[in-house]
Amino acid sequence: MRGFHGAPGRRGHGAGHGAGSGGRRFADADGKAEIQVALVGNPNSGKTTLFNGLTGSNQYVGNWPGVTVEKKGGKINIGDIDAEVTDLPGLYSLSTISLEEEITADHVAGRKMNLIVDIVDASNLERNLFLTFQLLDAGIPMIVALNCMDILEKNMDRLDVALLEQRLGVPVVPITASKKTGLDELVRRIGAFARIGSDHRPRYSDAVEATISRFQAVTDDRFLAVRCLEDGPKAIARSGLPGAAKDKLTALYEAEKESSPIALDMVLPNDRYERILAIVDDAMKKNDVAKTSPTDRIDRVLTHRVFGIPLFLAIMFAVFWIAFGPIGSFVTDGFVRLVDLLFGLVAKGVEALEAAPWVASLVNNAVFGGLAAVLGFLPQLAILFLFLSILEDTGYMARAAFIMDRVLRKFGLSGKSFIPMLLGFGCSVPAMAATRTLDKAEDRKITTMIIPFVSCGAKAPIYGVIAGALFASSAYYVVFSMYLLGIVVALFSAVLFKKTILRRASANYLMELPDYRRPTLKNTAIHTWERVKGFVVKAGTVLFGAFIVIWFLSYFGSVDGTFRLLGADELEYSLMGIIGKALLPLFRPIGFTDWRPTVAILTGFVAKESVVGTLGILYGISGNAIENGTLLYPVLRSAFTPVQAYAFMAFALLSAPCVAALAAMKKELGAVKWFAFAVAYETVVAYLVALAIFQIGSLSAGGRATAIFLVFAVLVVLLTIRRAFRRRGSCASCYGCSSGSACEHRGNSEK
Amino acid sequence: MTLQDIRPGERCVITEIRCDNLRKRIIDMGLTTGTLVAVKRLAPLGDPMEIIVRGYLLTLRRTEARRIEVSAAAVR
Repeated sequence: MRGFHGAPGRRGHGAGHGAGSGGRRFADADGKAEIQVALVGNPNSGKTTLFNGLTGSNQYVGNWPGVTVEKKGGKINIGDIDAEVTDLPGLYSLSTISLEEEITADHVAGRKMNLIVDIVDASNLERNLFLTFQLLDAGIPMIVALNCMDILEKNMDRLDVALLEQRLGVPVVPITASKKTGLDELVRRIGAFARIGSDHRPRYSDAVEATISRFQAVTDDRFLAVRCLEDGPKAIARSGLPGAAKDKLTALYEAEKESSPIALDMVLPNDRYERILAIVDDAMKKNDVAKTSPTDRIDRVLTHRVFGIPLFLAIMFAVFWIAFGPIGSFVTDGFVRLVDLLFGLVAKGVEALEAAPWVASLVNNAVFGGLAAVLGFLPQLAILFLFLSILEDTGYMARAAFIMDRVLRKFGLSGKSFIPMLLGFGCSVPAMAATRTLDKAEDRKITTMIIPFVSCGAKAPIYGVIAGALFASSAYYVVFSMYLLGIVVALFSAVLFKKTILRRASANYLMELPDYRRPTLKNTAIHTWERVKGFVVKAGTVLFGAFIVIWFLSYFGSVDGTFRLLGADELEYSLMGIIGKALLPLFRPIGFTDWRPTVAILTGFVAKESVVGTLGILYGISGNAIENGTLLYPVLRSAFTPVQAYAFMAFALLSAPCVAALAAMKKELGAVKWFAFAVAYETVVAYLVALAIFQIGSLSAGGRATAIFLVFAVLVVLLTIRRAFRRRGSCASCYGCSSGSACEHRGNSEK
Repeated sequence: MTLQDIRPGERCVITEIRCDNLRKRIIDMGLTTGTLVAVKRLAPLGDPMEIIVRGYLLTLRRTEARRIEVSAAAVR
């Protein structure tokens, strides 16, 4: 579970200088110093750009709140000071609502840095300063890096930096991170700060101060007192204090809640924003000449009431068409030819060495076979990532979430779930990592568990080859229906999870729309490269090992009592063949009559792209089946009936994803229990769907009609039952609400 | 009157936050009492809504908006 580690926030300091550890401590007598600098700021305020500028590294920067989902570190040397810079996930407030925000809040609460560099977006000063005030409350030495000064200049707004510095009580350095202006000065100030160090805690109104001091009497630490006042029970629970103190704080909080004239959780934010407003009013002279911003002009078109959705669909279609249509295929073909050429050369070299036959087999079938499966699929993925990066960099992704929220809410998801699901069409691995921007653990679980149903890029070749072989002219519709099936099952599962095991999922939506930005070549390139690299490294390493295992299982077996390397025509005797044959009875109800498709499905657990390759090997096709699927057409036509083929594709689509995705899923779901559940659920669903397809598909026309009627009747009954339940569970809290007993407001009206 | 009743192009002043869901975050994002808010537009499907608060664009659902009490802003 998440939470504080150790007992942060309490280091035995007296009142008033809780952290106090600031600049003074870390400079040694000889002037050598090592300091921990943390970059903290609102999402999308330019932290990662600044981090790259400071450390010279190439971290990806997005125009989508929540790009930094894990902390990243780098080093800078300032004279004789070594500064270790950490780029922390952005957050709006220390009162966190998402996992990534907690990473940063825990860092601050644990005072794991000597100096905070707080990045403040000068074009969005008021809201950014809210976090600045919260950070100042922590009493950790701080420098404010005032970013986006260029936007201010462009708008002809005037900002009195000296006044801001004086009012905040900490150094303020104007910078433009994207143009690297002001960074030298910032570095100089960081270096200077290492020696002097100072902190300045904001003072609030007398009434608020009195309340804070009542909390402080219990916590013995001003920052913790402020946190408890602000965030109530949550902050108290996470305070790391002994139980007795927690009880005292809870009692105090309840008492304050009773006596406060306005809602207690509004007290501090109200006072803070009043102070911020006073500072901004004095320091900022906004250019009054009213003009529509470029963002507004673009949004008028892209989020237009009528054209917004068609434009959105057109953009998404265009991205997938470019990646998987003629252009993508063209690039892939050229790339595969190049890879083949290279592999051919190496294979010849191995042959020339005259090593044992199993070595040649290992190199050709396991190493190259595996690499080809990954690499052959890479160009399309790279194109997909490139365009998604551009959409993200410009700020359109936030609009996509805005547009889609209404639709996804119906399925218990939030508009923010849209991005991870969309990425899922490319590859589940980055898609699952992207779920971390979702607010609640339950929402993240749901989205992570449904992503494997979304048909990823690696599954495309399966449909391509099989539909091409068996459905000829209507192949396009068949392939499209597979994508649709994946989406339907994913959304159905989301509803099911939310109604049953993950009732606490809220699918909240509250999102800032960032201003549109022109994507820079460098940033887009970095972003695409990072994702492609992540895919190749993560998938590649896992796949590589897995392909060797598969190769062993497929090419070794005992023939006539001797265990040996098998020839290409003896695969039936391989270990894999034995497993496939043993499992065949299990697969028979869903239409598998041959052990070969069974084995192909099994290899699909390693990598979906290997399903086609395995079919090629098992049916004894000479040549690369992945590269040229048409080679497989004749054997597939004789091995499958259309119904069998359709059930096979459905099972390949829905069954547990590849090893790389499983690894990502394990990481995001955390607990083994959830992971095991997700895998079991996916396998069962795949089996049931394939079963239904095959059994209904195999019936005669009349039988089919009966089956469809039966399914329809069951649906009607289920819906009626559901409606009855809904009516019983409804409340009068919110008009028109349909969430029934799952609603959070329900308690209010009943009290 | 709640925020959900405000039409695009109109402004209002927050008088009370009554929603429990996301309450803390809504406050921290700057929707404190007395804050001037302008409704910018609705999403193509009518929900969520886009508002301008403290000089930036924030989008929120009507389920939250209907629990945010507002009063008409003085026309300037």
